[in-house]
Amino acid sequence: MTFQTLFAASGHIYLGNTLWYLIVFAILLVLVKHYAWGPVSDMMEKRRQKVINDLDSAASDRKKAEVLANEREAALKNSRQEATQILSDAKANAQKTSSKIVADANTDAASIHDKAKADAAQAKADALNEARGQVADISVAIAEKVISKNLSAADQKDLVDQFIKGLNE
Amino acid sequence: MEKSFVFKFLGLNFDLSGIIGSTLMAAVILFVCIWLSRKVEMKPNKKQNALEYLLDFTNNIVKDNVEDEDAQKHLSLYAFVLFLFIWFMNMLGLFLEVKAGDYMFVKSPTADPVTTMSFAMMTLLLSFTFGIQKFGVGGFWRNYAAPVGFLFPINMIEEITNFLTLSLRLYGNIYAGEVLLTLIGNSLAPSFGISTLVLAAPLAMIWQGFSVFIGSIQAYVFVTLSMVYIGKKVTKE
Repeated sequence: MTFQTLFAASGHIYLGNTLWYLIVFAILLVLVKHYAWGPVSDMMEKRRQKVINDLDSAASDRKKAEVLANEREAALKNSRQEATQILSDAKANAQKTSSKIVADANTDAASIHDKAKADAAQAKADALNEARGQVADISVAIAEKVISKNLSAADQKDLVDQFIKGLNE
Repeated sequence: MEKSFVFKFLGLNFDLSGIIGSTLMAAVILFVCIWLSRKVEMKPNKKQNALEYLLDFTNNIVKDNVEDEDAQKHLSLYAFVLFLFIWFMNMLGLFLEVKAGDYMFVKSPTADPVTTMSFAMMTLLLSFTFGIQKFGVGGFWRNYAAPVGFLFPINMIEEITNFLTLSLRLYGNIYAGEVLLTLIGNSLAPSFGISTLVLAAPLAMIWQGFSVFIGSIQAYVFVTLSMVYIGKKVTKE
């Protein structure tokens, strides 16, 4: 009674259908696996692997880029430091050179000055000596001339007197 | 009530409507699957996307309910085909019912307890297979007595009720849907001439839409519960 309401109006229990469903399902399973499920699942798995690989390589690339950027930054810092070093070295050198030049110039000037002074003194002394000799000669000559020409008796007498006076004193 | 055409072959009774319906839908599924997966590429096209979405959907049902990774791989295909098969068979009766004389030739095969019981039996046997494969015959039987010994008969009864509820739930939902659709189409529509005919059209449409929803839910539930029952067999309690 219950079975009759359950199993449609025919009143039969058709186990043949069960068998048929199993066969159809099994065939469907095999065909779908071969034509659709297999290739698509494979592709999904492949894609999953590819995504994993891509992510991994992206991560490693990023790491590499980071390292590279750090290196570059360090190099930049270094070069900046070097440039400053070079600049300050050059400045120091220039200062040294300039002060040396100035000092050299000063000593040169001083020596030239000293030499000139000495030369001048020498020249003066030479000139004086020469002049002294010449003055003596000239004065003797003048005196000779004066004495030989204009010296009167009175003058002579005065001269002698003066001379004697000088002796006395 | 319409009769189904039953014939005897090799000592077994065959119901023609179920055979026609299931074979037809299997062919449709095969056609759709092949059509969707004609060009399988690394960068998926639209058709492949649809198929992959469906595959992901059934794979998630499997993953959510079966913890054993080895079984997951095997059950993926089963869940995929089972879901498609049941869904298509649920939908068949909504738009196609062929009746010749008193006999029904095409309707939803799932509106028949034999069909649903066949699939429930398949799941049951599959769960036994997986259980025995995982734990061996001894371990399989010992799992019935877990966690305490006196639960053995209750667990045995549960096996039968699982089978019955799994199959009859699907049958009841689809059968009721078809009965109501038949009632609207055959009894309500011609009852008072043109007025009821006009009234019956949107009613049938609404009920068809709702039946699509029910059919999808039932296919999902059937596959999910199948996976739950199989998953229970491959995990130690």
